[in-house]
Amino acid sequence: MPKRYTATQTITPGIDWTVVILYLILVSIGILCIFMVEYKPNTDVLATFISGKTNYSKQLIFAGVCMVAAIFILLTDSKIYTAFANLSYTFGIILMLATFVIGRSINGSKSWIPIGGGFNLQPAELCKIFTALALAKYLSRQETDFSKIKSQLIGGAIAMAPAVLSVFQNETGLALVYLSFFIVMYREGLPPGLLIFGLSFGVLVIATLIVEPNILAIVLTAIAIITIYILRKQFKRNRRLLTIIIVLWALSVGIQRFAVPYIFNNVFQCYQSTRIYSMVGKDYDCSKNHHHTNANKANYKPPRKPDDYNVRQSKIAIGSGGIWGKGFLKGTQTRGKYVPEQHTDFIFTSLGEAFGLVGSIIFLLIYLFLLLRIIVIAERQRSTFSRVYAYSVASILFFHIVVNVCMTIGLFPIIGIPLPLISYGGSSLLTFTILIFIMLRLDADRQMVLR
Amino acid sequence: MNVKNDILWRVYLIYILVVVAGVFIFGKAVYIQQVQGKYWKSLSDSLHERYVETDAERGTIYSEDGEMLSTSIPQFDIYVDFGAEGLREKNGKRFRENIDSLSIALANLFKDASAAEYKRILIKGYKEKFRYYLLKKNISYEQYTAMKSFPLVRLGKNKSGFIADDKSIRLNPYKMLAFRTIGLDRDSFKVGLELSYDSILKGKSGTRLVRFIAGGVGVPVDGAYESEAVNGKDIITNIDVLIQEITENALLKMLVQNDAEHGCAIVMETSTGKIKAMANLGKGQDGNYYENYNYAINASEPGSTFKLATLMALLEDKKITLNQTVNLHGGTLKIADRTVLDAEQHGNYEVTAKQAFELSSNVGMAEMALEAYRNNPSAFIKQLHNFRLDEKTGIDLVGERNSTIIKPGSKNWSATTLPWMAFGYNVEVTPLQTLTLYNAIANNGKMMKPYLVNAITEEGRVLKKIEPEVLINKICSNSTLKQVKESLEGVCINGTAKKLFKNSPYPVAGKTGTALVAEGNKGYANKVYQSSFAGYFPANHPQYTCIVVIKNKPFAKVFYGADVAGVVFKEIADRLYTLYVKQNNTQMFASAIDSSYFNYIGYKNDALTLVQSLKIKTKDSANIVDDWVGIAGTKAGAKLYSKSVQLNKMPALTGMGLKDVMYLCGNMGLKVNVKGVGKVINQSVMPGESISKGMVVSVTLN
Repeated sequence: MPKRYTATQTITPGIDWTVVILYLILVSIGILCIFMVEYKPNTDVLATFISGKTNYSKQLIFAGVCMVAAIFILLTDSKIYTAFANLSYTFGIILMLATFVIGRSINGSKSWIPIGGGFNLQPAELCKIFTALALAKYLSRQETDFSKIKSQLIGGAIAMAPAVLSVFQNETGLALVYLSFFIVMYREGLPPGLLIFGLSFGVLVIATLIVEPNILAIVLTAIAIITIYILRKQFKRNRRLLTIIIVLWALSVGIQRFAVPYIFNNVFQCYQSTRIYSMVGKDYDCSKNHHHTNANKANYKPPRKPDDYNVRQSKIAIGSGGIWGKGFLKGTQTRGKYVPEQHTDFIFTSLGEAFGLVGSIIFLLIYLFLLLRIIVIAERQRSTFSRVYAYSVASILFFHIVVNVCMTIGLFPIIGIPLPLISYGGSSLLTFTILIFIMLRLDADRQMVLR
Repeated sequence: MNVKNDILWRVYLIYILVVVAGVFIFGKAVYIQQVQGKYWKSLSDSLHERYVETDAERGTIYSEDGEMLSTSIPQFDIYVDFGAEGLREKNGKRFRENIDSLSIALANLFKDASAAEYKRILIKGYKEKFRYYLLKKNISYEQYTAMKSFPLVRLGKNKSGFIADDKSIRLNPYKMLAFRTIGLDRDSFKVGLELSYDSILKGKSGTRLVRFIAGGVGVPVDGAYESEAVNGKDIITNIDVLIQEITENALLKMLVQNDAEHGCAIVMETSTGKIKAMANLGKGQDGNYYENYNYAINASEPGSTFKLATLMALLEDKKITLNQTVNLHGGTLKIADRTVLDAEQHGNYEVTAKQAFELSSNVGMAEMALEAYRNNPSAFIKQLHNFRLDEKTGIDLVGERNSTIIKPGSKNWSATTLPWMAFGYNVEVTPLQTLTLYNAIANNGKMMKPYLVNAITEEGRVLKKIEPEVLINKICSNSTLKQVKESLEGVCINGTAKKLFKNSPYPVAGKTGTALVAEGNKGYANKVYQSSFAGYFPANHPQYTCIVVIKNKPFAKVFYGADVAGVVFKEIADRLYTLYVKQNNTQMFASAIDSSYFNYIGYKNDALTLVQSLKIKTKDSANIVDDWVGIAGTKAGAKLYSKSVQLNKMPALTGMGLKDVMYLCGNMGLKVNVKGVGKVINQSVMPGESISKGMVVSVTLN
């Protein structure tokens, strides 16, 4: 392709074409998947693609808009991203705060701002870009020493501020995405103890859900006693060790006996608790839920379908695909519109049903290739700003893909986050396009040192 | 170096994290698709779409006067799913709160059990957690809609567990009336019109893609797969509910009175062959009579009504004249090894051929037939063929039986066959065939095909009109026709039906029949008589032809045709004559001479001006005080009459012009809605109804 290379050389020298091609492949697959979901026989396919009335046609239009945005980004100067990082972050936070005032409720989350023409903007989605830029800016500052607790706390605050606002907007799924910035911070020097602590906490919560409370308490106590017994000789030298073990034990039992039930019954909504429970294969009794009983007094209508309905239908779709799948446009689950939200959050199921295990694996390999390619790009950056930013992109994509695919196959509770570049939705597609192309722009200038 | 190692370590960990996540996803995907694959696949198949037949609505059978004879109505079976989640939620709170009011409502609606009993049933069902408990079968649509508003039930299927299973049943609003003719719409064995017109009535069931979700509930899937069910067409029969009722009642009365086994009566419109009524009653196991078999189209030995065919054949072949002498041998004649007996030993010897027919002498008919056709019996059979007695009538009713006419040379033909056939034995025809023949005579030799359905309609729109069909244009020569008519009328004046029609206000032509019926292996020993009467009326201008055939019980005291079937015939004829024939005549009479008759209504002064300027002679009723008058009359002379208008009552507008209507109604504060031009022929508010200001009245002008 030497010819194209020369043609684009002047505009975009040093662009990583691998990522661009992967990007285009994924967007095409996305439109194809939405087409599979929405396809009706006996209609003029071409006409419906052009009409702008079907979702796949709309997605095609979004893709066109994204191309324009992408080219525009590639034409900009990399320096503006460092220059406007903090400003854009401030703008993002203001937008999110504005949502509480002028926001609009869609699907139960008040996180949208109507921008006219039937389009709505979700600031929390857009804020991912700004946060990535702001975090990169902060970490790349000369005076930031990320081995210090203070810097780590500030970094964490930058990442978590939009997440907290997002939770208040009743958009828990998007809030969780901001957790992916911890992967970036970890790469930049966050102590691994935090990750280990987080992981153990997760295991403890899941154990709490699965194991009967008293038995778990006994098991935890037994582990503590055994540890004390094994380490008994070291206590003489290190007095604090015993204290740490006892504190940890008390904390674990406390979490298991009080904190988790409290959170599930009082903090989470009934449907959230039910979803988390159903993920580990248990039923949750909604009558224990504080919100539920409160809401019931105000004539609350419980959801008609059991909460694991989505996952069940999704599993049927993927499971009935077999090795090779049922074939293009032949999926009965898809055609019967069984899987709720199939064109957005559950888009993966249409692929799994139509192209089977082989199709799904190839699809996931494309993603994996993209992610690894982004990490490679990140590691070849000279400036910390570009590296942190590229890592942010990788982390966000990684988090989205893992959580989305895991939730469709029942490994993770259902939180409504889309599959990057595939799921229907203009906001989401535009956000990821901007994220990726800013990264490509920065990468093209990797010889420069940006601050 | 330490820093570099630390970073490398971290990056590798991130790589590992990505790969581990990938492996997890891969593992789970393989697990779902390969290990659990079969399970999900089976769920996919069982849950999913299936093509389900959607029933077409079966058409309605109407009588000619527009009454529903057979129609489909929805019916519901009510089941309760006591395991419904919404019902059992919170330890059955919803169930407990509603059970008392629901039980009372159910008891009030169905009135078949007390509220306490319903409560007991419901509580038991709830305790046992029945998933599909049949609460009530076959409830009507009205009951169903009432029930839907009951406590608990109104919360819907998911919360109440109440499930309605709807189906369509066939309803005959007139119950027994022409029940057999209309037929039954059973799955296995349809009969009657329901069978004959099944393909038209049933429509075409459609298919629809339905997807089944949890609980076996079907949800129709949008898309192009479906073919809509095409509802059945309606059919309009010739049956007139009133005539059918008269016929059925008259027949039933006689059957009960005589404790007869079964009987049928058919009324046919002479000029068209339309079957206006067809009654078939047979004694059921419980001694009551039911429409249980289509006797009218079942062949049996007709007896003396068949003598008409013999007489026609003899006259047509010019073998006899009506005035020639016949020897009746006192009522007994031995032919070959068998004896012909007249119904009674009358002791008559020398009578005319016409008298032999009128008296229904078996001996006379046998002798004349034997005399004429002894050497060439085929000629007689050929005449029967000419009268179409060896062929089905072709009525649009499935199940019409063939007649049996033995031919010379067949192994059943014997020396006695011909003479016995002459008086209606050794031959089997259906009452409908006999009727068709009699109708041909009444219709001046034109044999009409009997038919039951005159139109196929769809939502009131006529799709196909079935016109009368002529089977034979001229069944016999005019002279034969004249003589036969004379003989049939003679039967009712001088013959066997003389007593029956003694004081009849209109002339009747007909023939009695009394046939001894062979009962299986007992032969004629049981003295079972089949009494029949076939004829038409009024004899001078036939409107209807009717046949009545009644099979009596063994050793019945009264069995003569005239005394049993004749009575039924007379009752039918009398009522039809007063209801239709007489009225028809007067109407025809009136319209014939009154072509210049007029009847207009208008404002008095206008009317007077008109009358004067046209110089119409009027018999002015001196005391016209009202503003509104009517002028009725012919060219010869008209009469003015007053039309009184009361202020608060709707005036009769018929005959008025629009100008007068507007004036009159405007004065009374009515709003007028006009359709058409000319004079008023119809008004939406009937004359005499109370009216109020601002009321809207629609008028139709011709």
